[in-house]
Amino acid sequence: MSENLPETNYLDPELLQRLGDLELVAREVVEGIRVGSHRSPLRGLSTEFAHHRQYVPGDALRTIDWRVYGRTDRYYTKLYEAETNFDCHLLIDASSSMNYASGKVSKLEYAKFLAASLAYVVLKQRDSVGLSVFDSEVRTYLPPRSAMGIILEIDRALRDIKPTPKTSLAKQLHDIALMMKRRSIVVVISDLLSDVDDILAGLDHLRFDGHNVIVLHTLDPYELEFPFGGTWRFEGLEGEESLTTHPERIRDDYLANFNDYLGNLRAGCVAAHIDYTTVDTSRPLDAMLSEFFFQRQSTLAGPSIGARR
Amino acid sequence: MTFLNPLLLLGALGIGLPILAHLINRQQVKRTDWAAMQFLSRSVRVRSRQLRLRDLLLLLMRCLAVLLLVLALARPATNSADVSWLPGEERAGVIIALDASFSMQHSDGKATRFERAIEQVRIISEHIQPGDPVSLVLLGGEHRVVLRNMAYEPNRFAEVLSEQQAAAEPLDLDSVPKRLETLVQDMDAPQKEVYIVTDTQAHDWGRASSPLQEALRGLGQEASVFLVPVAGSGENLAVTGMDLVSGALRKGSIARYRATVHNYGKRPVSGVDVRCRVEGVQIDSKQIPLIPPGSSETVSLFVPFYNSGPTRITADISGDALATDNVRRAVAEVRDRVSVLCVDGSMGDAGRLIMSSLRARTDGAEDEGFVVRSVQWPDFPTGDLGQIDVIILADVPEITQEQASQLSRFVRQGNGLVWFAGDNVKASKWNELSGEGGSALLPASLGAVVDTSDNWGVGKPLDPDMPDHTVCRPLQSLPEDLLSETRFLKRLQVEPADTSFLVMNLAGSHLPILLEHSLGRGHVFMFTTSAHSTWNNMAQTPVFPMLMQQIVTYLTGREFEQPRIVGDSLMLSYAEQPDAIDAVFDTPSKQAITVPVREYRNGYVALLEKSREAGFYVARVSVQAPGMPIAVNVNTHESDVACVTATALRESLDGTGITVSATAADLSADINTARTGRSSWRFFMLAGLAFLVIESLFADRILGRNRLRRDQRSRPPQHEEVA
Repeated sequence: MSENLPETNYLDPELLQRLGDLELVAREVVEGIRVGSHRSPLRGLSTEFAHHRQYVPGDALRTIDWRVYGRTDRYYTKLYEAETNFDCHLLIDASSSMNYASGKVSKLEYAKFLAASLAYVVLKQRDSVGLSVFDSEVRTYLPPRSAMGIILEIDRALRDIKPTPKTSLAKQLHDIALMMKRRSIVVVISDLLSDVDDILAGLDHLRFDGHNVIVLHTLDPYELEFPFGGTWRFEGLEGEESLTTHPERIRDDYLANFNDYLGNLRAGCVAAHIDYTTVDTSRPLDAMLSEFFFQRQSTLAGPSIGARR
Repeated sequence: MTFLNPLLLLGALGIGLPILAHLINRQQVKRTDWAAMQFLSRSVRVRSRQLRLRDLLLLLMRCLAVLLLVLALARPATNSADVSWLPGEERAGVIIALDASFSMQHSDGKATRFERAIEQVRIISEHIQPGDPVSLVLLGGEHRVVLRNMAYEPNRFAEVLSEQQAAAEPLDLDSVPKRLETLVQDMDAPQKEVYIVTDTQAHDWGRASSPLQEALRGLGQEASVFLVPVAGSGENLAVTGMDLVSGALRKGSIARYRATVHNYGKRPVSGVDVRCRVEGVQIDSKQIPLIPPGSSETVSLFVPFYNSGPTRITADISGDALATDNVRRAVAEVRDRVSVLCVDGSMGDAGRLIMSSLRARTDGAEDEGFVVRSVQWPDFPTGDLGQIDVIILADVPEITQEQASQLSRFVRQGNGLVWFAGDNVKASKWNELSGEGGSALLPASLGAVVDTSDNWGVGKPLDPDMPDHTVCRPLQSLPEDLLSETRFLKRLQVEPADTSFLVMNLAGSHLPILLEHSLGRGHVFMFTTSAHSTWNNMAQTPVFPMLMQQIVTYLTGREFEQPRIVGDSLMLSYAEQPDAIDAVFDTPSKQAITVPVREYRNGYVALLEKSREAGFYVARVSVQAPGMPIAVNVNTHESDVACVTATALRESLDGTGITVSATAADLSADINTARTGRSSWRFFMLAGLAFLVIESLFADRILGRNRLRRDQRSRPPQHEEVA
């Protein structure tokens, strides 16, 4: 990502953790992404004109009001009244495995910031945001709405959850799919540490229901790189048997297994037209979002949404 | 078991380091929660018991390695059979004391004692292991350490040994144990052995004194001591003396020297030829018909002086088993002429009698080379005294301070002064004087005139038991009745200075008649009596002319005419500060030794502290200056080469713990029996290093520690650590 925005000072996840107020976090993250640098990737279609805004580099040329230009010799873009014709549903995995943190920020906390930021973006567009939190079952389901209070609901919902090991991701996704009434953009924020077929089955269900599915595969850098040295005892967060081993001796095997798993998952997503992105929790949230928006915007007009890494 | 470096055992505290490392490393098993358990291979499992065992093994190996290395550095050694199970090598530190006194040059016809001693040292060296510490010391008057704690290397040792030779010194046996003890204490070895290879001369070893035995016993407690005798026959002749007896050392005159030859053997020796050489040219020869065992015989050697200047004179014999003491050397400073000035304060007989005694000639002829002048006291010369060799002050009442300083300077330059008492002498005036530099001109302060006559009005005679002074030597050959007829009625009471010594005194008392002291390079003689007949009848006897002429001969001689003994210091005196800052002494072996000139007692001297060779040294005030020969003779105390038998030695040294190894076979057997000391440091060092290697292999290969270090990431994870 940094080759795209090399000069940017990003917000460190640990700094966001210290901010505490989730709405503030979301605002800091989203407002920090400069207006005009890209189009909102989650914006829906609206036909009711609202007002004009002076063109800034980066705005789509198709939004320029040429008649205004003819009268004033200035570029204005047309903004439309936010008609809530588009729901975004955020699915947050709050199972025990999401509590893993090699640094100070766990995957779950990162997911929380991610969800809040996405919700902020959507709400700023006056679309609706819904929220589901699940672990071994669906703990929270908030139907989509367009009030900012949803951000606080995210925080509250995650705080109240006592994480339990997830049993089957597909089952939770099935259950949530049944609850959703309208076609939506469904953003799944999860470490997806489960059987690949089970995961894809759940995701497929969402796709079959007509939802536009985005998977933000949230992983800790240690899970991606496995840089342990010495002798370690690994305690499974999902109730697995602990293992004392020399990690450097099994690192190659681990990375091979893990990369196979990621490859299978990505291939499955591509096949199911699911937008797949791996999220490294060590990366600054705004940088990650900026890159994600940029890539999504670049492919938004395409016939299909492919998985990307 | 003992340790040669016991302080290094404190290094055992270093065992705390591996224990500390163990305690720290024990914390290395870290715990972490982990989400992606399904990707972890369970093929590599580490169990707690396995970890503990591994750590304990590593700890054990590290501790053992540290302990073994510390033990090795502390140099463990043992002499005890109780720990014979302990691996080790038989090692010993060896100190070889080789007698290099000149008696070791005595030959039995095939080889000298020193050559046989070298052979014994070679046998000893065959029992030394390469690397063992070895010291080699040559015993003599001053013991010379040739090798000190050298790691034994056979070729190097043999080379050094072959370069050694006996010196011209006597053996100072009493100082040997202490010197060897110092070397023993300076040596680190599991077992210390001292070998004293000597000819066991009877005068040294036959009368082993209590202090010597005690010192040898002390040495025996520090080390195993072996005495290796290289005895030989006691037959030996030595020229023990060569002295000027009479005659003047002037060009054209003849002096009589007396050579003494002593037979130290047990058999009489007949037909001993004694040759006299002047500057290497034989000028006289005498034969001693027979010298009984243990006796001395003397011969007179007449030496004519054809040239002036320093003259080397030797008396030698030949055909003897020990050549070193077969020659005796002397130096004569031959003058062109001798000038004597007599300052007469008596205005009468005293001065005349003194003049007569000096001019006395057997043929009554005038001698051109011997000028004697007389002046009255008031005409005391105030100018240059350079043409005068001896000044005689006869009954001079007093002299001025300037005259005293002038006389003092005159004597310091190497001339002579003879002072006579008399009726006119004002004692208080003389006592007020001080010479140049503040030191007294006369050898005693003056008192009152005292009567030495007895109740019958007969004075006291001279003491016939005279010291062996050059001045007295001709008198010793006079008949005793002639001496006893010389009577002294009066004498001046004197208080001798510390620097003076008595030459002649009255019989039956220690009342001095003639005193002497040195002043610079010259001498002052002081008669406490007068030549006048009211004081004594000395001037009317043959004693007086002999005495006066001998005094003049002595005073016109030079300091280096007195022969030195090997080991004596050689001193070159200067009246004035010399231009050159160094003097040079050429040894008989033609080596030049440079000695700095330093200030000493109001004068300047260059002192060669020890003469190490017998022969003629040459002293020069600078490299280019002409030399003054100095005769250096051997100490004939060492010439008694009779040896103690091995049996007598064992009896004499009983209780000292010293082993006497009389033969080569005995020596080898004694060494093998006594050498029980073993050194184990090499074993401990190898074992310690082996444990280090094993620990390293175990840690690196089995645990893959190297790869761990290579792959270590810079950012540590935030995880809980468990024991």
